Amino acid sequence: MPRGTKTRVRRRSFLAGAGGAGIAGLSGCVSFGGGEESSGDTGDGSEGESDGATAGETGSEPIALGQPAALSGQWDFLQPGVSQATDAAVSHINEAGGVLGSELEVIRRDTAVNPQEARTVATQLVESDGVAGLVGLFSSEINPLWDFLQDLAMPVVTPWPGSTYLDTRGGDKLTPDDVSDDEWVWRTVVGDTVHTSGSAVYALEEGFETLGVLNGNTEGERSYAEGFLDVYEENGGTLVERVEVELAQSSYQSALSRLFDADFDAFLISLPQESAITALSDWSDGEYGRQPILSDTLASQAVYDQVGSDIEGAWAAQPGRSGPGYDTFEGIYAEAGDAEINAWTPPSWDAVTVMALAIERAGEASPAAIQRNLGPVSRGDGTPVQTFAAGKEALANGEEITYRGAATPTTFTQHGNVFGTVTISTAESGGFTQTSQVSAADVREYVPEGQY
Amino acid sequence: MGLLQEILFGLVTGSYIAIAAIGFTLIYGIVNMINFAYGEYLTLGAFVGLLASTALPVPLPVAVVVAMVGGGIGSLVLARGFFTPINQTGPVPLLLTSIGLGIALRNVIRLVAGRNARYFETETTTVRFDSVPDLSVGPVDLLGGFFVTTEQLTVVGAAVAVFVAVHLLLTRTNVGIAMRAMGDDEQLARVRGIDTQLVRDSVWILAGVLAGLAGVLMAIQTNVSATTGYSQILQILSAAILGGAGSPYGAIVGAYVIGLVIALSTALLPSGLTGLSTAAAFVILIAVLLVRPSGIAGTEVREA
Repeated sequence: MPRGTKTRVRRRSFLAGAGGAGIAGLSGCVSFGGGEESSGDTGDGSEGESDGATAGETGSEPIALGQPAALSGQWDFLQPGVSQATDAAVSHINEAGGVLGSELEVIRRDTAVNPQEARTVATQLVESDGVAGLVGLFSSEINPLWDFLQDLAMPVVTPWPGSTYLDTRGGDKLTPDDVSDDEWVWRTVVGDTVHTSGSAVYALEEGFETLGVLNGNTEGERSYAEGFLDVYEENGGTLVERVEVELAQSSYQSALSRLFDADFDAFLISLPQESAITALSDWSDGEYGRQPILSDTLASQAVYDQVGSDIEGAWAAQPGRSGPGYDTFEGIYAEAGDAEINAWTPPSWDAVTVMALAIERAGEASPAAIQRNLGPVSRGDGTPVQTFAAGKEALANGEEITYRGAATPTTFTQHGNVFGTVTISTAESGGFTQTSQVSAADVREYVPEGQY
Repeated sequence: MGLLQEILFGLVTGSYIAIAAIGFTLIYGIVNMINFAYGEYLTLGAFVGLLASTALPVPLPVAVVVAMVGGGIGSLVLARGFFTPINQTGPVPLLLTSIGLGIALRNVIRLVAGRNARYFETETTTVRFDSVPDLSVGPVDLLGGFFVTTEQLTVVGAAVAVFVAVHLLLTRTNVGIAMRAMGDDEQLARVRGIDTQLVRDSVWILAGVLAGLAGVLMAIQTNVSATTGYSQILQILSAAILGGAGSPYGAIVGAYVIGLVIALSTALLPSGLTGLSTAAAFVILIAVLLVRPSGIAGTEVREA
């Protein structure tokens, strides 16, 4: 064989091998399939094959819920606690005999908090996996996919979204039997409107009457800052300077320099964690001083450790852990693993539990039946229950139930939202600790009726 | 704060970009390919440096050297594995391969290294010069008090050292002269007895060394994660194109233009537009290319 020919063959072989390896590698890295399954301690790991329309009626086939998840991407550090809470809820439900006598399982697939990927994953979960409902999706996925989700007509009960976009969207409009006016998204975490209101109220109570704002130019970061400012300015606070920045910059010194040229009492930072650490480290290096107010995700040990002692005194308002069922949840959660509890962990437990109770009350696992029953199991004067086991028993006795959740009481408003206390976490003595609370009633004063 | 402080911030940002942009543009000028995977080279360098400083552990300056060596070796291995076998296919297949390699590397790093960002343990000292008087021209204060940190000085110092070293390499060493000759005409260089494959390998190693250094410096300022380098690749690419693709001196100028535009636009744009500072840098890029399509320098590495 001529030398040149041999070389070409070797290169072709190389390219074919490299191409094949690349495709295999990429298909493993990008989530085109292969979700994780959770069916609790009693599951055999088999994938649910029902179409979701009648699953559970006979009690012979597993009932599956789908969980679009942040297994990668900029919010993936929050997923371990949410996954553990989901798995703990599923285990608890299956130990109580399952839903309608069937084993419950959750099929988890990664979206990386990317709207395009979320659309693909939601379609896969519904069309291929035959799930009866979804227990996930972030604001930045829901908002651009709103029309798609309504056309999908699949109940989405999610622990993630804070966006004010959902304040007047979602839920059953207090007409549970009539799904024609429904919107198919419910959230078990308090919206930004609630905890940004709590944060703004707390800032004013502490005497910070003038404010500077440094926020990212993405929807979530803007939404948080604007939610804060709405309440802050309506109640006498004054915005002095606002600087918007791009995320993942190597330095925020120019933005800080501009911000701190203005005269104000405190400054709000609304950025994802990694960008916030860079910005706050720059703030510390520049010795700018003044009172930092952090957005909800920033009250973390990583922020304290990387910024150092200069961050002491900074505080963040987070969704509280004020649900009547919190202690019950915490006990079961602790036995399921060692993932750190974050503000989205108890809402994840609530999302799975309230969905399972809706199926149990409906007597079937079809999307419309679940949608019709999410309101009735969460509102009204039924027997208060804090776990699926208690709810199942009460329903079997012919009683109406009202689920009392872990994160909040989980009383869905007409728009599928929940209300709860706001926790103030302050950086002190080596970490963030809870130092104060703003009650749900106090916050409610600043949120008009019907607007949430 | 005054304009002087903003210029200092711009110079620091430009220094990060310049170190990486030199490596990027050398590959373009001599290997004749746009390497979109170059951001991942920075990421690899950052991880090697972090590993050295935490696992071995060695002092940070030694970790930087380890990252540069690791970057050089990694760059050569990747080039031999993915680019050298298709060298003759032209710039488009090389470009597409580099895009695919970048995606694959980013995801492999994410799978191997995990989700969480990691951080170098560093101590920063701030030196203030608050007694500098104001010099106002209209609404703009040209001077005024300013500060610098030891971290900023290190970055600018490292950049200057790299500029001098690259200049000496290209003008005073046989391999540098061979690089320029090969960039000018590869066939003629081969006829003149230059081992062109050796020169290509030298360029890959040099680009990897610079990526390792830039990656660690970037990571010290931000963090080490799968996207440490990827998040900077557009600015690096823009600096190289703005300066005149293929020209290391042009890349240096382009990097500082971009750094200064980002800093000054953040300081001077109207309040609602500050989030568009990087976009402002790209507007400058487009404007320069419209007037001078070959970039600021207008010369490639062969004419350096």
